[in-house]
Amino acid sequence: MTLRPLTARSYILTVLLWMFVWAVVSAGALAVGAENIWKWQSWEQVHNVLGLRLYSVLSASAVGAALALAGLALQALLRNPLADPYVLGVSGGASLGVILSSLWLTVIAAPLFGFIGALVTVGIIYAVAQRRGRLEPYTLLLTGVIVNAFYAAAIMLVNSLVDPARRGDIAYWMMGSINTFDPQWKIVIIVGALATAACIAFALFAKGFNLVAVGEDTAGALGVRVGRLRVVTLIIASLVTGASVALVGPIGFVGLICPHLLRLAFGPDHRRLVPATFFFGATFLVLADLATRLLEGIGGQTPPVGVLTAMAGVPFFVYLLRARWRKAAELR
Amino acid sequence: MAQGSGTPIGGAAAPKVEGDLTGQGGPYLSATDLVFAYGSAAPVLRGLSMTVGRGRLANVLGPNGSGKSTLLRILVGLLDPAEGQVRLGGIPLAEYPRAALARRVAYVPQETATMGGFSVLETVLMGRSPHTGALGFESAGDWHAAREALRLTDSEPLAERSLDELSGGERQRVIVARALAQEPDLILLDEPTTFLDIKHQHAIYGLLRRLVRERSLTVVCVSHDLNLAAAYADDLVLLDAGRVAAAGAPADVLRPEILSPVYDTPIEVRTDEVTGRPYLLPRPPL
Repeated sequence: MTLRPLTARSYILTVLLWMFVWAVVSAGALAVGAENIWKWQSWEQVHNVLGLRLYSVLSASAVGAALALAGLALQALLRNPLADPYVLGVSGGASLGVILSSLWLTVIAAPLFGFIGALVTVGIIYAVAQRRGRLEPYTLLLTGVIVNAFYAAAIMLVNSLVDPARRGDIAYWMMGSINTFDPQWKIVIIVGALATAACIAFALFAKGFNLVAVGEDTAGALGVRVGRLRVVTLIIASLVTGASVALVGPIGFVGLICPHLLRLAFGPDHRRLVPATFFFGATFLVLADLATRLLEGIGGQTPPVGVLTAMAGVPFFVYLLRARWRKAAELR
Repeated sequence: MAQGSGTPIGGAAAPKVEGDLTGQGGPYLSATDLVFAYGSAAPVLRGLSMTVGRGRLANVLGPNGSGKSTLLRILVGLLDPAEGQVRLGGIPLAEYPRAALARRVAYVPQETATMGGFSVLETVLMGRSPHTGALGFESAGDWHAAREALRLTDSEPLAERSLDELSGGERQRVIVARALAQEPDLILLDEPTTFLDIKHQHAIYGLLRRLVRERSLTVVCVSHDLNLAAAYADDLVLLDAGRVAAAGAPADVLRPEILSPVYDTPIEVRTDEVTGRPYLLPRPPL
């Protein structure tokens, strides 16, 4: 019987993944290796290309970390392995908030409105899906379906009312993409800072997440203030989701795929999962973004990264749902 | 030992019955005039008072909906009573910081979710969480306590297995081991034998009995099984509609004139010639 702490394995994996991430900066339609930089015409060119690549990598890292952490926290707290900010409609609420703020306010207000949209959605989900203080797993998912349908309709309504020239922008933005045409460095910094703060907070909550996963009464009897943990966690998850949506639009399933892959590698202990999710979520979205740039070579246009994560995420969701049924059948 | 023991519940004019099970060690846990309701529903507890002495095994009995589980959740501090007070070692429960309370009182809930896929050892180590720091990493002392708890419950061979793949009896032993790893003075158990066969029922109660004897633990157990309670408990507390109907030694509480009105069914009580303890037979209406 051996102690299985935050061992060398997770650190080595993390370092390897980050080396890979930084290697990604040099990949793409235009090679940016150190040997090529000297061949370029001007420093301005180097600065522009590297700057945009760096912007993509940093945005994808920040958003990937944020969404993966939000998914992990929602799964732990709602005790539902299928919880994800996109599936539950939290990203949809954030999208509506961001779109509304973009109509009248400056860009920097978007994260705040995204947060408000996300938080309102969490409130709605709780109000609708809660029965006697408990959230039924399938009621929760159905609530997500309904909430998503409402937000989709509301966003279409807004889209049909705005200047026709902007409709295409909103529709493309709703697919979730890392837009290098209009870099928002300030929002990247906000999302990165929030994701880092969320990682630190969730690392402190990890013990509580483990206990809540086993049972809320058990957690309470072992000294966890479950009500306070729930409120603070949902606020943090809403914050990081709202800010992420403000930066790149609603990118789905990152919060579903990443925590589950990590559970397979590291087990169910959130003391390991929280830091692992932070780094792996970042890496995952950087790789997905890289994949979109490699696809650019085929079609000439860069597809939105949200389309790729959804195409990977939906089969994954089905797999998890089936696994859950199998397990329920075994226990019966 | 037990004041008001065996007092049958009377009419409106009957004196208030209190479950006073002070025992030899003096009152360790006491509840006074507890009133509790879930939201705007009718109150579940209506002025319930009881005490449990240190180093006693007390069993709370009562029909469905009499408030047993609610009482237990108040005693462990998960619910706050609308009125009344719980004292532990003479100090009001509300004055204990959460972690300090968790170091003294362990709780075994009715059902334990299996989500997560934690191993048995990880589950038992969770019992150490009131003793660990902010990041929740265990010290050598915590590991020692967890191993000791596994040993006490004969669960050592299960340590590396996943909680999900255990049988009901094994899982219940592990959850009791988690409670023991807390190194509490008081363990509260909510129907720990409900899903167990007769062998495992006796194993759990036998373990509780041993813990009371060897470690001077105080145990409060909620159970539907009157015969099992009669065979193992020092004291019984019989609830009826949110109040204590009777409290005291098994022979004083398990009487037909007390039980039949509470359970609203004819009950015959006999005495086991070997143990001298009462046991009951439900008598079907003829």
